[in-house]
Amino acid sequence: MNKKEITCIVCPIGCKILVKTDGNNCEILDGNKCNQGISYAKSEALNPCRVITSSIFVKNGSWPLVSVKTTKPVPKEKIFKVLDEIKKAQIKAPVETGQILIKNVANTKIDIIATKSIKSQ
Amino acid sequence: MIQQNVDVAVIGAGPAGLAAAVSARKNGAKRVLILDRNNWRGGILPQCIHDGFGVEETGKSMTGPEYANMYVKMAEKQKIEFMLETMVLDLNKKLEITAVNKNGLHKIKAKSIVLAMGCREKTRWSIMIPGDRPSGIFTAGVAQTFINLYNILPGKNIVLLGSGDVGLIMARRLKFEGANVQGVVEILPFPSGLPRNVVQCLDDFDIPIYLNHTVTRIEGRQRLKSVTIAQVDENKDIIPGSERKIKCDTLLLSLGLIPENELPKNIGINLDEKTGGPIINQLYETNIPGVFACGNCLQVYDTVDALSKGASLAGKNAVKKIEKKEKEIEVRPGKNVRYVLPQKITQSGLVHFTLRVTKPDQSVNLKIKADKKEIFKKKQRWVNPANMMELDFELSDELFKSAKTMEVFLDE
Amino acid sequence: MKNFHVAIIGGGVIGSAIAWELSKYNLNIAVFEMGSDVCSGTSKANSGVIHSGINSASGSLKAKFCVEGNKLLRPLSDQLGFSINWTGKYVIAKNQNEEKELNKLIKVGKENNVPGLKILDGKELKKKEPKVPCHSALWVPNAGVMLPYEFTIVLAENAAINDTKFFLDTKVIDIKKEKDVFKIMTTKGNFSSNIVINAAGLNCRKIHSMLEKPDFKIYPCRGEYLILDKNYGNLINSMIYPVPPKELGVLGVHITPTVEGNILLGPSAEFVDDADDKKTTKDMMKLLLMEAKEIIPSIQNNSVIAAYSGTRCKLASPEEGGWADYKIYESKQNPGFISLAGIESPGLTAAPAIAKHIANMVSKKISFKPKNNFKTKKISKRFIDLKQGEQQKLIGKDKRWGRIICRCEHITEAEVINALSNPLGAKTLSAVKYRCRAGMGRCQGGFCTQHIIRIMEQEFKLKPEDIKLKSQESYLFLGRNREVKH
Repeated sequence: MNKKEITCIVCPIGCKILVKTDGNNCEILDGNKCNQGISYAKSEALNPCRVITSSIFVKNGSWPLVSVKTTKPVPKEKIFKVLDEIKKAQIKAPVETGQILIKNVANTKIDIIATKSIKSQ
Repeated sequence: MIQQNVDVAVIGAGPAGLAAAVSARKNGAKRVLILDRNNWRGGILPQCIHDGFGVEETGKSMTGPEYANMYVKMAEKQKIEFMLETMVLDLNKKLEITAVNKNGLHKIKAKSIVLAMGCREKTRWSIMIPGDRPSGIFTAGVAQTFINLYNILPGKNIVLLGSGDVGLIMARRLKFEGANVQGVVEILPFPSGLPRNVVQCLDDFDIPIYLNHTVTRIEGRQRLKSVTIAQVDENKDIIPGSERKIKCDTLLLSLGLIPENELPKNIGINLDEKTGGPIINQLYETNIPGVFACGNCLQVYDTVDALSKGASLAGKNAVKKIEKKEKEIEVRPGKNVRYVLPQKITQSGLVHFTLRVTKPDQSVNLKIKADKKEIFKKKQRWVNPANMMELDFELSDELFKSAKTMEVFLDE
Repeated sequence: MKNFHVAIIGGGVIGSAIAWELSKYNLNIAVFEMGSDVCSGTSKANSGVIHSGINSASGSLKAKFCVEGNKLLRPLSDQLGFSINWTGKYVIAKNQNEEKELNKLIKVGKENNVPGLKILDGKELKKKEPKVPCHSALWVPNAGVMLPYEFTIVLAENAAINDTKFFLDTKVIDIKKEKDVFKIMTTKGNFSSNIVINAAGLNCRKIHSMLEKPDFKIYPCRGEYLILDKNYGNLINSMIYPVPPKELGVLGVHITPTVEGNILLGPSAEFVDDADDKKTTKDMMKLLLMEAKEIIPSIQNNSVIAAYSGTRCKLASPEEGGWADYKIYESKQNPGFISLAGIESPGLTAAPAIAKHIANMVSKKISFKPKNNFKTKKISKRFIDLKQGEQQKLIGKDKRWGRIICRCEHITEAEVINALSNPLGAKTLSAVKYRCRAGMGRCQGGFCTQHIIRIMEQEFKLKPEDIKLKSQESYLFLGRNREVKH
């Protein structure tokens, strides 16, 4: 079992919560001031995930980039694989908000969608 | 000169202007016109491609462009008119706006005006960083504009000064784009952005943060070559011998925002030194009858949710007939409160207070007193200058008639 | 190898004034400038003050050219359209002791034929300058302010439209005299010229030594400045100078209202080893603000919107007293080589007079006739300063006059495009800034930079990696974000 310090992000106090984990189970040792912190710390210790936002190159659009995001948080260790695919992608205008631009990015089963609309030039 | 008459003229199509305009229409304004100097709507939001917007308001965490789009769609549904790529040149006390765009000069006569011009970023000279004046120094927002809107990368070896949310977000953004982010320099003993951003922008990527440090010199005659950082003591004085040089080609400054109020200075608007924005009453009306203010030009907000709330109130009140004020209660910031809005109360009813504390604290009471009497008390688990506080308070007729001043403060 | 009649080395105010003066005649003229635009050195980073002549020792070239130049500037500004604000100057004395210094200045002034000098007491000054408390003051009416970069650029561009060839980003590497002709080796090729004029400012000694051993040394002296927000512009009407200080460590900060409505604090005067050392320092910036607040208590800390510094070329070391007269002479060893050294204050004021003097010297070596097709391109008024009717007309002709790019100073897209279309071919961000003012406001380019870059890309086909701030090495961007191969 490893001891880890997790900074809680639920509220601006940012308690440093000490947990003990073996990767499958997680026990709170100390540091939280509320219960929301407990569930956050556990999930962050066992399976930290992040929503990734970035941009994809647009051909023939009124702007050269469309901002994008993952539809759900992806496992933290996949962040740079996801970004790689985003960087390589190129799409043609027009693009609509919510349009799926990459399906199942980096084998996460999560999609990349456009977060703004870009008209054709 | 192209002339037109409108009911409510809103200056700025950012989130504040959009929310105010939508609210004005919902509350009965017939013709609402928004003027904006850019050729897009949403103000700064289209370049804020990260998420975290609208959580409180909608329950969903949206990106900046998505949040802007939500309000643009509402505005279009409400048949709000837009004049884009239009610069307001002048205002007068008769509520006439002079503006210019590619079609010529315009004179817009409005029954009421909502100021929603937003803010500008503090520059290197606001803290007078000495040294050379090379290229490669950007405010964080301008770097964000180039990376996210124009597909242009400013540099590859980055140092950031200021650990507010904008700086933290940009640290991650540059890391995502393959830059070498050397670190974030922060003069305070703690990061000034949200813990969420410290974790997800710095800790996740092992980007160091140098607390109690500042940039003391910039080096590089043509393009930035390095910065010197040094530690400061409790009085923010440099500790001699603590200097160290960091080689870099880009310095991003995230030093804070200044509400943009040059335009209304022409009509004699009263500004609050502490907020940088107009002095308002609880209707969000300034000292100029019929001129309302909201958004970042009123005060620098931390969340767009709180901003939209205030802007909606401003828009709603902008539709009402301008009534003569019978009296004005002065609202003052008290112990550990840096500023409180509104600074004046001109009628009974709902007052939406927004305030910032001077120092962080835990387990304190937020209190209001009218003259010498305590009329409100609410326990706060924590307070922090970086987190604006909101409070809805119902002021009774009786209290409004009797009180001369009110004070908002923190106490044990 | 291209041959010129006159080759001017240095595109500062002196080089540009000489080029303009000579461009009136049927001469082939070249200007070699190592910066990416004219006005890259001392000419850019000074106070922009038009001096009356009271500061220069009587009988000196400084005094002579200052008083002559001062007279020439008014008709010149009418002709070329650059702005002058004849603010006048008050030299203020804090006490009876300092008033003695004012009397000394009057004496020098009279010797130099400076008109209109008179002393006012504190009460009289209060009526003119309510925000400046003092014991007494010397009123110098014949002084004013201009924008040194506007002046230099209009001279250079007018020379250019009259066939002067400007070689920017061109460093002179060596000069050799072969019979009657000078061979000039530069980073952009080799040229020859009958006459070479050394107006290279801080590099004047370097250039001079290419031909012969200089009989002078140069001592670079750095001056730092602070620029205050326009909102403070109404604190003073005229320039306010304290009496020149005697104590060490006291600057005697000058407070100068600019043509644009800002206030300038400075300069400092620090001898530096490296002529290129133009950094701003914490100590000086603090001192400038502190001394300014002593003279004008209404100045606030947060009034500073920018700081800059420049180096001027002094010919005397601090031990020698730091004052020496201009050296302007034709070499006896290399006839046709005219050198100008140590052109520091009042160089800006003196420039038109020096130019006439040089033209006179050139006329003794080459005979020339005035051109009959000499063109003048006056600086046009800014959009925001025009009457509404004129503004409408412009927008009707070209919609780009209706798009405002610089929010703080209200500069239009058309003005930015005109700035980038300059006849010198300068296309840096600074070239835009110094011609149309975009980026000089309180947000310091926070809003306009993205639009200027967009215009550079779309209208002038510049690639992001080719866009520079000032010099060729001062790139702004790495390049495109997507499609960039890392």
